Amino acid sequence: MEEGDNLGEKLLMVRNLKKYFKGQNGKILEVLDGINLDITRGEFTSIVGPSGCGKTTFLRILAGLDTQYEGEVYLKGEKVTKPGISTTMVFQDFALFPWRTVLKNITFGLEVRGMRMEEAIEKAREYIKLVGLDGFENAYPHELSGGMKQKVALARALVCNPEVLLMDEPLASLDLQTRNMMQAELVNIWQRTRKTIVYVTHNIEEAVFLSDKVVIFSKRPTKIKDILEVELERPRDRFSEEFVRLRAKIASILAS
Amino acid sequence: MKLRDMLLYLASPLLFILGWELYYDIFIRNPFVLAPPSKVFITFIILLSGRVANFFMPLDALYSLYHYLMGFSIATLLGFTLGILAGYIESFRKSIYLLVEIIRPIPPIAWIPIAILLFKLTHEAAAFIIFIGAFFPVLLNTSTGASSVEKEYIEAAMTLGATKTSQILLKVVIPATLPSFLTGVRVGSGVAWMCVVAAELFGVSSYGLGYKIELGRMYHSPDIVISYMLMIGVVGLILDRMWIKLEETLLKWRRGITWGRSS
Repeated sequence: MEEGDNLGEKLLMVRNLKKYFKGQNGKILEVLDGINLDITRGEFTSIVGPSGCGKTTFLRILAGLDTQYEGEVYLKGEKVTKPGISTTMVFQDFALFPWRTVLKNITFGLEVRGMRMEEAIEKAREYIKLVGLDGFENAYPHELSGGMKQKVALARALVCNPEVLLMDEPLASLDLQTRNMMQAELVNIWQRTRKTIVYVTHNIEEAVFLSDKVVIFSKRPTKIKDILEVELERPRDRFSEEFVRLRAKIASILAS
Repeated sequence: MKLRDMLLYLASPLLFILGWELYYDIFIRNPFVLAPPSKVFITFIILLSGRVANFFMPLDALYSLYHYLMGFSIATLLGFTLGILAGYIESFRKSIYLLVEIIRPIPPIAWIPIAILLFKLTHEAAAFIIFIGAFFPVLLNTSTGASSVEKEYIEAAMTLGATKTSQILLKVVIPATLPSFLTGVRVGSGVAWMCVVAAELFGVSSYGLGYKIELGRMYHSPDIVISYMLMIGVVGLILDRMWIKLEETLLKWRRGITWGRSS
């Protein structure tokens, strides 16, 4: 919540990133084929692309979870070699710790940074309020609905105050209504925190609704097809002419 | 509990007792060979109240629990520690695999001669047998649990800033392994309690439920033998209930995942 300075700084730089997977029988599967991308501080960037194009792989590389690649990934000018404290990832199926309550899931990142427990709890409560989960502090993940779980995952990541928030199709498993609601919520939270977000989705409408920039991946071996700026005022109207036009444009680039 | 349920639970014990009584009255009718339940019941009450000097049952139960706790607690501690390490560190798992798999099929009873040679007729000898019985269930359940912790939990922890292995172990692997570990504890506890009898049979101490079964045979008193058998069953049941209770308390977070789904 305390950022806002250094806007415009290149936070993440990806240079000629290539990634292969070795399958059984030694066949090599080329996934990422020379990705170049800059992510600016404070920007909301979405990545869309056909399924299987390596969007998640790309995100895992940014997170430092996958280090077997060619090319370079820099975070604030330093090479990413392992998961660090500057980036936090929100997973598609939440990955909440089932043995921890909502509150304790959110304090996790603070605990491992060595924060005192009382302080961590106080901070976690702030974020519980931010995502609107008041009253559910002591619930366990299995007692929550999908949308609520996603909010916990979001709060758990945000409370760490990461420089970059990586989100891997975080709303994909929610029903349409909850998803729309969560998108609006996400825009709301983003406007208040101005986090740098890299957001992977296969949902074009979602990308246009949320982001400043939409990066379009091709199918495998994956290159960047195009990058579109979305300059619509937030909150965005999904039915406005401009919105629909952008959607169609991205769809046609994807299909080409 | 509903009356109907209560009757259902009591049905098989009552039928068993009735059959046993009839079997004794019709075929045996010799108090040196077998005792009827009616007599066992009275003997059990007398022994439990501690009125027979040579068969002071409450103290025997305490000594057996002492042997059990000594062997079982060491087995749990060691099984947990090695199990977590074996589950998390693949090279360690491989390095102990063969040894474990060779020693594991050897029944605890087969260790009795070695136990007596090593520890003489002491409480430690009994505890050693019990340890052997309880160790492997704890070890194997824990290591299986620790090796199958979902990778996503570990990755989530890492991206949330858990950079040290000790943090991953303490805050992710161990809590995620808790359910399997507690299953191991329960199974191990059952085996340990069964080993108590075998461990005490050889007279490692002059008290103990297992020892008194053998003593009762020497006195040609089947009613005493069966009373002690009954006591072993009752204490074993109580121990098992305690572990279940502990499991339910510690695994509140799982309710609805397993209990809910299976019922």
